[in-house]
Amino acid sequence: MVDLEKLKNVAKDTVSREDVKYLIGWRQGTYGFRVSPLFMTEPEDADKLIFSPLCVNNLATYLTLAEKLPVPRGAEPDTRKVALMVKGCDSRAVVQQLIEKGIERESVLVIGCPCQGVLDLEKVEEKFPGIHSPVDVQWGDDKFIINLPDGPQEVPREELLAKKCLNCRYPNPVMSDVMLWEEVEAWGNGEYADVKELEEKDSQARWSFWQDKFESCIRCYACRNACPMCYCEDCVLDRLNPQWIYRSNNISENTVFHLARAFHLVGRCIECGECERVCPMGLPLMTLNRKLVKEVRDKYDFEPGLDPESKPFQSSYRPDDQEDFIL
Amino acid sequence: MSEQYDPNIVAFLCNWCSYAGADLAGTSRTHYPANINIIRVMCSGRVNPLFIINALQQGADGVLVSGCHPGDCHYMEGNFYARRRFGLMKELLEYVGVDPKRFNMSWVSASEGSKWKDVVEDVVEKAKEAGPFEQFRRNKINW
Repeated sequence: MVDLEKLKNVAKDTVSREDVKYLIGWRQGTYGFRVSPLFMTEPEDADKLIFSPLCVNNLATYLTLAEKLPVPRGAEPDTRKVALMVKGCDSRAVVQQLIEKGIERESVLVIGCPCQGVLDLEKVEEKFPGIHSPVDVQWGDDKFIINLPDGPQEVPREELLAKKCLNCRYPNPVMSDVMLWEEVEAWGNGEYADVKELEEKDSQARWSFWQDKFESCIRCYACRNACPMCYCEDCVLDRLNPQWIYRSNNISENTVFHLARAFHLVGRCIECGECERVCPMGLPLMTLNRKLVKEVRDKYDFEPGLDPESKPFQSSYRPDDQEDFIL
Repeated sequence: MSEQYDPNIVAFLCNWCSYAGADLAGTSRTHYPANINIIRVMCSGRVNPLFIINALQQGADGVLVSGCHPGDCHYMEGNFYARRRFGLMKELLEYVGVDPKRFNMSWVSASEGSKWKDVVEDVVEKAKEAGPFEQFRRNKINW
């Protein structure tokens, strides 16, 4: 179970360490069910830290998002670690970044928080609308305890659980330096109902489904920016020569953008669901990603973000890879 | 429609096997459909998945990627990476509703001029069945 006292003590000790730059954790947001990231540099800030079913954000994004300023002449580069609080899915993002050598093992200190599944913010805001003061939410046995301003409310777990958590197979961090409390039992079986449903439709129906979705895309690139795996310094979407994908917002360019984004995540997507969560137009981006996750798992027997020593999917091969599609 | 319709197919051939195979088909005066536009690349592993999407976007009705047989790659392992990549590319295209007949991959070695002919006939036949590609074709902009 969640032990906030232990979390705060560990955070204090971590931040006081000489070799730690800052700690990235969650804090209560300014209104309602919102939660913000907390970049903690002082031990006094430990009281602001929370870990609750509201901590949906994947903080692993901030490891590669931090600006790397040039080191002044004669100065030593800052080699201090960044401490990071992770749920199970977030830890896979960290491991995948390690596999790809996007970050170094020495530069990160992982604080593992076994997680019993987070809330779907849209569902909870729909159920309890018009709440402006910050709300605290706790895990109970198969339920969420929501401490509303007019008294606590209990809601069954299945009702408000985020979509990515419904079928979670890795609720415990797969890698950590400090594990805060005892591990929980995984409940997922790795079957994707949404993908299966779409696969059973015919080609025309699938295209009209995706056409409808892609047409509503506004190309804000929030999915790219929130994704912990999208950290190329020179992104293909920003590149002008060659310009693979035009900036115009039409079905052609939008489709190509989404295909390219999904394909860049082949064998890398760790199913944290951030792209879908941040999408302002509500596109089912995970339905696209999960299809590829499923193919990679079923046909190539590969799962990303589990073993820091393994090789990336697309830069490795097996001589007996399937080739039934080849003429 | 299907009698007059001439599909436009882009083929990415590796320099060492498939391109030489197509060359052999040509020098041995083999007849095969002229719908295929060949782009020579150094290795099938060099083909970026965006090439495929971009070809479809810019007017191709079908795409073919062809390289050396597994184990025969001039660069030892390029075609193994390509096989992994394009197997999933095909799945992805099929999943969003693009006809799987439009994207094909084959292994043609430098001595397989007659196989090249069969592959091209097969690919053109499939593209004719699939019809003109319109799903995410880029519209011409008239400035």
